[in-house]
Formats: sequence, C-alpha cells, structure tokens
Amino acid sequence: MPLGAAPLDDVADRLAAILAGPSAVVTDTEDGELVIDGDLVPRPLTPAPTAPCETWAVDGGQALVRDARCLQVYVVRAGRCCFVDRVATVEEEGELRAHLVGVGQRAMELARLDGGLALPANTAIDVNLLRERVEWDGIERTIHEACEGALVLVDGDLRPDPRIPVPWVTDLLADATARGVTVVGVTKHTSLARGGAPLIGQLEAEADAALGGRTRWWARIGHSPAATGVPFTVVAARLDPDAAYSFRLDVAAGVDPEHAIAQVATVADDAAFPGYPYPLTVADRLAACPPWLREEAWMTLEERLHVAGIPADVLHRAFTDRHRMMERAS
Amino acid sequence: MTANTRGRLFGKNVLEGTFRAAPDDDLFLGELLVAIDDATGRRYLFRVVDVTYGHEHREPGWAERVAGTLLSDDARDDAGAHPLYEAERRTYRVADCRCLGYLTPDGKEFRKPKSLPTQFSRVVSPEEADLAFLERSMGDLHVGVLRTGETTVDVPVGISGDSLAKHVGVFATTGMGKSNLMMVLAGAAMQANGRYGLLIIDPHGEYRTELARHPWAERRLRTYSSVKAPNVSALRVSLGEMTSDDLRTATGDTSRAQTEALFELERFYSSQYPGLSWLLPFSQLDDLVGFRDVDLGKSVALSTLQVLHRRARRICHLDAISADADVSVATQIERDLREGKVVLVDASGLDSTEELLVASFLTRKVLEAWQEAFLQDRNAHAGLPTVAVVLEEAQRVLSKANDADVNVFPRVAREGRKFKVGLVAVTQQPKLVDAELLSQFNTFFILGLADERDRNILRGSAKQDLSALHTEIQTLMPGECLLAGVDAPFAVPATIDLWSNALRDATPPPEPRAEAPVNVSAMLD
Repeated sequence: MPLGAAPLDDVADRLAAILAGPSAVVTDTEDGELVIDGDLVPRPLTPAPTAPCETWAVDGGQALVRDARCLQVYVVRAGRCCFVDRVATVEEEGELRAHLVGVGQRAMELARLDGGLALPANTAIDVNLLRERVEWDGIERTIHEACEGALVLVDGDLRPDPRIPVPWVTDLLADATARGVTVVGVTKHTSLARGGAPLIGQLEAEADAALGGRTRWWARIGHSPAATGVPFTVVAARLDPDAAYSFRLDVAAGVDPEHAIAQVATVADDAAFPGYPYPLTVADRLAACPPWLREEAWMTLEERLHVAGIPADVLHRAFTDRHRMMERAS
Repeated sequence: MTANTRGRLFGKNVLEGTFRAAPDDDLFLGELLVAIDDATGRRYLFRVVDVTYGHEHREPGWAERVAGTLLSDDARDDAGAHPLYEAERRTYRVADCRCLGYLTPDGKEFRKPKSLPTQFSRVVSPEEADLAFLERSMGDLHVGVLRTGETTVDVPVGISGDSLAKHVGVFATTGMGKSNLMMVLAGAAMQANGRYGLLIIDPHGEYRTELARHPWAERRLRTYSSVKAPNVSALRVSLGEMTSDDLRTATGDTSRAQTEALFELERFYSSQYPGLSWLLPFSQLDDLVGFRDVDLGKSVALSTLQVLHRRARRICHLDAISADADVSVATQIERDLREGKVVLVDASGLDSTEELLVASFLTRKVLEAWQEAFLQDRNAHAGLPTVAVVLEEAQRVLSKANDADVNVFPRVAREGRKFKVGLVAVTQQPKLVDAELLSQFNTFFILGLADERDRNILRGSAKQDLSALHTEIQTLMPGECLLAGVDAPFAVPATIDLWSNALRDATPPPEPRAEAPVNVSAMLD
C-alpha cells in the first residue's frame, strides 16, 4: 500500500490543537505508571530557612568508546559532590568503569553489574543499564555517607531502569528515610503531559497568572504506584523567583514533599542558573565523559590489544565507522 | 595555590604568554611577574599587557546571564539573593603578557626570550634577585625606581650619563611630570660631580628656584637669567656672536619673502657687521622706505621689511642681547659645561623666537667647541664631559619643516654623539618631530600620552618594542613612565622620584679638603 500524505501543515494543525486546546487528562507519556492524584494547583513555596547540613548530588555519565555494532565498548561513571554552606566539601569524578557489550558478553557483564541485585540471567544489557547501575551505586554510597538531615539530589526521576529490581531501590530509599536523608530526583525535561501537551509549561503559565511572575511555587502531581513501583511523590516546582523554568521533582516516599523541595530551593539560587540546584550541575560536570576521556580510554585499550598481538588493521576494520567513509566520499 | 603563586602559564608563544589567575588577583597593567620553569631552572620575566575575564562555562552568554541576574537583584534592592557558587573555581582572570626574557638558572645573566617556558609553569611575583640584573643597566643618572603595576620596587632606574650624547626624548602631556623628571635628571647630573654637563634652556623660569635648592647646586649649578636674583648671572649674548642661521632657526616659520629679505639684508650689511650685529643699525633705521628704495634697490617688499624691522628692534631691545661682544656669557657657559656643570638658562623673559635664538646660538657654540676639540685633539676631547642641551617644546626645532641645513638642532641629533654632545628633547607632541630625527634618539622617557598618533610615532622609533604597551602608556599616572633605551633590556616601567624626595635623599657633596697648615719648621730645616 502506498504511504498516505504527511504534509507539515497537517502536523502544525494537530500541534496547535494540542497546545491551545482545553486541558484534559494528565499522563506520564513515558511509562504511564504514575498515579496522577495531585490537585495540580501551584501554591507558594518558601525555601527552608537554612540549607541542609549537607547537600549531595549524584549524576551518571557515559561514553561510547568504540562501536563495532556487534560489539561496543562503553565507559560509565557516577560523579558525586557534597556542599556544606555553599562550599563543595566532596568532589568525585567517580571510578571510570569500562564495559564490553555485545554478542556473548552478557554473562560476564551481568556478573560485573550485579553487586547483590540478583539480576536475571536474561537481562538485556545496554548503555542505559550500565549508566543507571553505576548511578544507583553512587546514590547508595551517598545515602550511607550522608549525615542525618542531608539532602541527596539525583539527576532525573527516581524511577530506575526497569531492569534494576524495584525492591532493591525501594529498600534503599526506605533506608534513606530511616537515616533522615531526603532523596529527591530532579528532571529537567519531563514527558508529563496534560491532554497531550507538556504539563510543566502549562503549570508555569497557570502559576504566573495565579501567583504573579516572580514567585516560587510548587504543585502536587501524583505518586508512583506503591504496589508495583518504587514509592515516591511527584511534584512540579519553580525553585527560585528568577528561574527561567520549573522542573519535575520526585521525592522519596515517607518525606513531606513540601519540606523536601523547600530544602532543594535553598541550593537553587546560583546566579548563573537560578531555579536549578547548583550541586547537580557540579555532579553533571564531574560525571561527564568528554571526547578526550573517550580517546584516552581507547588508547589504553589499543595498547593492551597491541600487547595481545592484535594487528592494527584488524582493529581498524572492526571499529571503523563506515558511515564516515561514505560521507567523505560524497 | 601556594601563598605566592599568582597563576599558571597556559598559552601563547616565545614572545608572549597568557596565564590564568584567581578571580580576585589584583593584576595590573605593566606588572612584572616571573614564570618559574622547574624543568630548566630558568625564570622568565613577564610584563602584563592586558587582563581579561575568564570562566569555566562554555555556553555562550553565560557571563552576561550571571550579570543580568545580579543586576536584577540590585534593581530590587536585594543584592546577594543569588550568590555565585564556587566563584573562585568557575571564574578567573587571564593575563596577557609579553615575555621580556629569562634569567639563567645561576641567576647571573638575563637573556632575550628565545624559548618557551614549560606549559603550566607557576607564575609568581618577582623576588629581589629576579630584578637585580636591571641595576647593571640602569646607569649612573638615577631618576626613579622600578615600577611593577602600581607598586614600586626598590630597584633604581636611570640612564647612563654617556647616553646623553645619544639623545634623550621626554614625552608627556601636560601635568604628567615632565618638569619633575627634568629637575631630577638635572640633580643627578649635578651629583655626577663633573662627569656630565647639561645646558637647560628653561622658557618658563620654573627650574631656577628649585634647582638652586639642591645640595650640589652651589658647586655644580650655574644659572643665567635676564631676571636679577641672588646667585644668578646676567644672561647676555652678543649679536656679533650669533649667526643668521640662528635667526633662521628661531624664526622657523619665516615666509619665503622674509627669507629672501633676510638674505638681502645680510648681503647689504655683512661686509661691515659680524654675525647678527647688523640687526642694531637696521633696527635704528628711521626711513625704511628710503633704505628699501636706495640701499636695497627695491628688491624687498616694504611690508616684509617692516616685519623684519619690528623683529630686529625687539631683539635689540632685549636685556639679554648686547651689541658688545665683551659682555657675552657664551664663553663662560662653555667653560661651565667643560667643567661638567648644569647650566640653567632662564629664558622666561624671552618670547619663543628669542628663546630659540639664544638656544640655537648656545647649542651651536657648544657643538662647535666640542667638535673642534674632537678634530684638534682627541685626548683633550676625551677629557671633556658629555654634554646635553635640554630643550622644551622641542618639536619647534625638530619638525620636518624645520629640518634645514641652517638649523643646528637636527645637526646635533645626527652628528652630536660623535662629539659627545646630545639633545634632551622635551615635547608633548612627538608626532610633530621628524621621524628620522626621532630615530636618532636612543633613550625615551615616555610619560602619559593621550594622543594615539603620539604613541604610534614613539612605537615606531623606540629602541625597545613598545607594540604591546599601547594601553599601558595610555594609563600611565603622573610620575609614572616607561624608560626605553638601548642600555635597558626592555622598556622599563618606572616611577620618577619626586623632586622633594630627591632633594631629601641627595647625598651632600663631600666637604672641601681642609688645607694643611704650613709647616714652617720643616721649611726652615
């Protein structure tokens, strides 16, 4: 059957209907697993009078070192930092972990990733799992190191990769709560939607109208289904009056979300990016795997392969990206 | 960073360097800093020529955004609402430097830069030993101390007295400290105790009282003035000693008609009157029309003749000008200079033309005397002190338009060094000085110059590379200068001593040796 026509005009019309149309059901388009029971009403947010005794931030980084399609070499790491009184007391880039993903590598990689998670033998391995695993490992270590009353910020939502066992994460967050450590996930770009349109943008407009332009606010959105997922509460919040954007925040169950985001607001006043928790930008920098790091990893690998007697042309044929050659030819 | 680390070198080439410094490091233009190359043991000396902001963030507009946030806080009277976390890590300063050279690992030799210091070398403030080499090239006429940025270092700065013969330019706009510098230089020349002579033509009479306060003035200063005052000799020069070249030099802007008229007058009078002594009978003429028609054969326009007549009358009426050759002080001035004295000619009673007339005459007299000694008796010449003529507003006689054969000053600039006669040309407008003449000047004292054209002409003529010092020259404060000369390894930033301090600190001259009483008994024996 021939393809139907798909002109841009049609897309524009449909997009306009979504963005301008009446509000409708709120969903999480990514997984649809959130229970949307919040009132979605922006209300004023007052930052906590003092910052937490410690504010930690954890973020994962990744890089594809070489890609032979059937085999990929990745490096991942989890960057962590801790701030006390706006001063960094801990800055860790995290151990750089290398992984070989591809045919015949699953068992070996699962053994290296497991660390007590009891991952099923048929668990598919890709870079998302590699990164999330090291990130959650970093979160676990942080929760254990943090002082009582500390805040632990995680880049992204608190819903782990589906291959990471929910009970493990649930226990970890419960452990954090028991230790008096508040874990909050901050999602910069969320798929939450209302009537198909981005929800956070709509809430920003509604907050502006209801509370005025320069206000901190928060709105309860929902929570994860306790029976099947990691328990956390989902809110949206604008953490600084001068923030250009508001964000989705996931607060671990057992913690008052308003209290938690009031704490987050105390570290979201950096002049360079008001409204985004500064420690997360530091963790992001620490975890990043820039091109030079990727090349350095490859040079180390090459050296080992050379010692192992692998001829250079074999390596070249294995890992050369043919797309690039095509592009050069054109 | 260790306590004295100012930054880490990261970029540029053999002649330039850039280093990163802490965001609160108060770096100054002209500041001297040292990069320590641990790999070679060399210590590279750098001069800061510009300082800019830097930050770790690569997103375009990051700094503007931060400034915007802070500005909005200010507007709401809520400064501090948005702190910049880790400002000391995220922001920094970048200093652009010129590499001046390096000290060899043994610290004994300073060499021009020909290699790169190791990247990321530590940059520190200079230690005393780092700058000790400068003292060797700072001569015996001390005028100030080394300046690094806005602070001074206890390293004396000056010029060699012998370099006076290779000509010195003093360039500054009003109020930047020219007069102070000249007085300090004159004081240093006095303290040289006869090694150097200075002939200072002072058009404003500003030095007479001040220079007389110097502890060495009684022995080493001789002042001539048309103003009567204690310890001042009367300034009298004879018309007969002066030449028409002096007159033409002084009246540099003479029209062609006037020049031709002067020739006619000289031709008419020269057989009877030596030098310019014809100005006296000419000035006394009552019937100019008859003189023109009969004696000059109507070869000169009456109006031109009238102008020259008025000028002649004025010159002849000056107290400083005499028709009597016996009262001239020229010989005495020459003698003073031969004795290595500072001779101050207070020309405050004279107008510009007359001042230049006297200056031209005295300069020519000195040049000819030293030249004659050179040609007649090399040994005698070697015993003569180096002398220099100090001339204010020197562009009047050193401009391209004035560069005629009759003008003695370009001659001194071109030939004087051979005879140990130099010029100290003081001007606010070096751009008006003939570039070819300026290139004859081996030493520049550059004080603040606002005009870009002035800075450009100096850049092209200086014996040191000033190309990166544009901003520094522009931002010099009164009393601050750059000293560029062949003796110094680079353009040396300096702060000129205040005259009052120079007076205070001047070593008094040694007591005259007491004469031993006559030993009569010994004589009898």
